Amino acid sequence: MTCDELIAHLSSYIDHEIDTELAAEVREHVAGCTNCRVVLDTTQRMIVLVHDEGQRAIPAGQRSALFERLQRTFLDQPPAPEADRSV
Amino acid sequence: MTMDDEATLIAGLRKRDQQAFAAFFERYADRVYRLAYGIVGNEADAEEVLQTTFISAFEAIDRFEQHARLGTWLYRIAYNHALMLLRKRRPVEPLPEDDGELPMPAALTDWTALPEERLLSREARDILRHAIAALPDGLREAFVCRDVEGLSTAECAQVIGISEGAVKVRLHRARLAMRERVSAYFGEWAAV
Repeated sequence: MTCDELIAHLSSYIDHEIDTELAAEVREHVAGCTNCRVVLDTTQRMIVLVHDEGQRAIPAGQRSALFERLQRTFLDQPPAPEADRSV
Repeated sequence: MTMDDEATLIAGLRKRDQQAFAAFFERYADRVYRLAYGIVGNEADAEEVLQTTFISAFEAIDRFEQHARLGTWLYRIAYNHALMLLRKRRPVEPLPEDDGELPMPAALTDWTALPEERLLSREARDILRHAIAALPDGLREAFVCRDVEGLSTAECAQVIGISEGAVKVRLHRARLAMRERVSAYFGEWAAV
């Protein structure tokens, strides 16, 4: 496997979406190629960091106001004509 | 009434049951907010998207078809509202070319051994946030859906309205671009 090929398969490898044979080739390549190992490791670490950073919630100060406002809009709507039918 | 299963929750929403609203808000408000934030990039707009998404959902829940998952359906509404708002704010970006050549990685310093406190610092989080915001729209949408929000490829394809193959291609390009950008900063920290 060349460095170009490794880069092309990088995401599929991280997501376990390539077959075992190709995955073995990826592992073999990164074992002998420092640059590709760095690219793989830093990509995986970046994904974890991004996922953690992205776990934001609605700001506490806005939450109850949003809840109240949306609840009012929700309750002001007439029920669906067939609201009692099973879904 | 318990709102644990989707069918009960939907039936409750159709009857305008207050408990159903509370359960719906509890289950989905933060998730919709996060997805919206990832696309529009600021709190005020993310809140606006959350509101318009919920209001659209209340209006449309009576016609909701059960073969779709409620969460995916809601994400799709949120995604469309977020895009509409984004387009009001700035011109539409051309769609990324999915078949162009991949840029080869250039930032090759290993920063993964940096201490946790450094990588979780406010400065590091700002770097990550700005890197996401700097992605081209089409790449950012796929990246936020998969890597920030953690939805499956199939769900992201439904939410964005593109094929699973296109999600994978855009996600791959987004990850390479993200890695390059954050490595430029974190690599410098590691080199000191």
